[in-house]
Amino acid sequence: MKLKQSIAVFTAVFFGLLTLVALLFNVGGLSSVILGWVSFLAAIALILGVMNLLLVHLNRVFKEQNLYSGVLVLSILGVFAAAVLDGLTGSDSVNLLFSWVQAPLEAALASLLAVFLLLAGVQLLKRQRTGWAVLFGLTAVLMLLGQALLNSRLLPGGLRAPVNQVVEFVQNVVVTAGLRGLLIGVALGTLLLSLRLLMGVERPYNK
Amino acid sequence: MTPLIILLALLVLVVLLFLLTRSVRAGRTVVLRPLTSYEGLAGQVGRAIESGRQLHLTLGQASLVGTASPTSVSAAAVLDHLAKDGCANGTPPLVTVGEGTLLPLAQANIQHALAEAGRTGDFDLSLTQFIAHDTDPFAYGAGVAAVLQQQRVASNIMVGRFGPELALMVEAASRQAIDQVVGTDDPTALAVATAATDNVLIGEELFATSAYLEGSASQIASLQLQDILRWIVVLFILGAAVYQLV
Repeated sequence: MKLKQSIAVFTAVFFGLLTLVALLFNVGGLSSVILGWVSFLAAIALILGVMNLLLVHLNRVFKEQNLYSGVLVLSILGVFAAAVLDGLTGSDSVNLLFSWVQAPLEAALASLLAVFLLLAGVQLLKRQRTGWAVLFGLTAVLMLLGQALLNSRLLPGGLRAPVNQVVEFVQNVVVTAGLRGLLIGVALGTLLLSLRLLMGVERPYNK
Repeated sequence: MTPLIILLALLVLVVLLFLLTRSVRAGRTVVLRPLTSYEGLAGQVGRAIESGRQLHLTLGQASLVGTASPTSVSAAAVLDHLAKDGCANGTPPLVTVGEGTLLPLAQANIQHALAEAGRTGDFDLSLTQFIAHDTDPFAYGAGVAAVLQQQRVASNIMVGRFGPELALMVEAASRQAIDQVVGTDDPTALAVATAATDNVLIGEELFATSAYLEGSASQIASLQLQDILRWIVVLFILGAAVYQLV
């Protein structure tokens, strides 16, 4: 192993073990110091990310005359100017931009998700007409219909309890069982990957 | 007392991992169960080279300094494999990230793969793109969808931590009729991915990536230990259920 790589592995393993011991034995000061350093590095990475975004799209504006990239560059510069102005004058223009532009746009995208999911469900049935695909579609329809009926006055009083029972059974037994199985698998995978990182066997940083 | 028990359990796991690794190195044959998603993944670089277009890989929104960092480390293993193959054949992948700490990781991977292929001069800033921070999942989803629509990529691989915004990306890829592989540990994103594509790496399969792609002794041993632990958990759950019934 080259010296440069050895230093990287040693540093990663040392700080990994130090943080583990600090968290296990509740050495608050030590773990918060390390996490403080890490947060600082993450903040630097975020600034580099924004600079990358700006440079990539500036490049596209000049090389490809891409209109979307032009709008993005202007938006970045506009928000930056607004933040500087806020700092100088005490105004609240960044929050205004967030409330009037970003929040409504994100809400609109979130509401589009239902349509995209519906399309994806239809595509699944077109792509593979297997028993599992049909079960997937039927469960989705059953749950949507059940929830809608339970929240409306269309459902007769006598049917309300059995429909509720079916919906609750699917949610509390079938879905929860699947989710727990999935999460146990993920937890085991995470545990072993973390051990490999702490042992220095897995080295994503060593490039 | 509890910290000591945890430390002891970790030490036992380390020893087991060490012993299993030694046994695999000694030549014990290990058969990994076939996963169709990995076969799908393996064919992507070849298709990208044939079509002369880039392969798009997005690494999700899990920070390397957060609790979900193992998900991103597993995603980095996929990037490592695809970057090596792609750069050696002159078609480095286009990588997008949805979190600041993933950008240096992606850039280092691409630069390393280009250097190994003797193409250091081919590195371009636009090969690795930051899309949005993890606090803006919909901006990330929309940004990746825009990349898929504008860049004419050959295939779309999404590995890492995603949420419901994955629907925006898979829909954009579906409209372009692009092959997709999705690997994530988030239940909501998995539901979206299952509806959108047949190539899905479900939860723990994502963590097994490096063993399937590289197949080193320690990675295979880790998979075996994972299976042993899974059986212990299954037996514990069954035992607890029987105990409750009796």
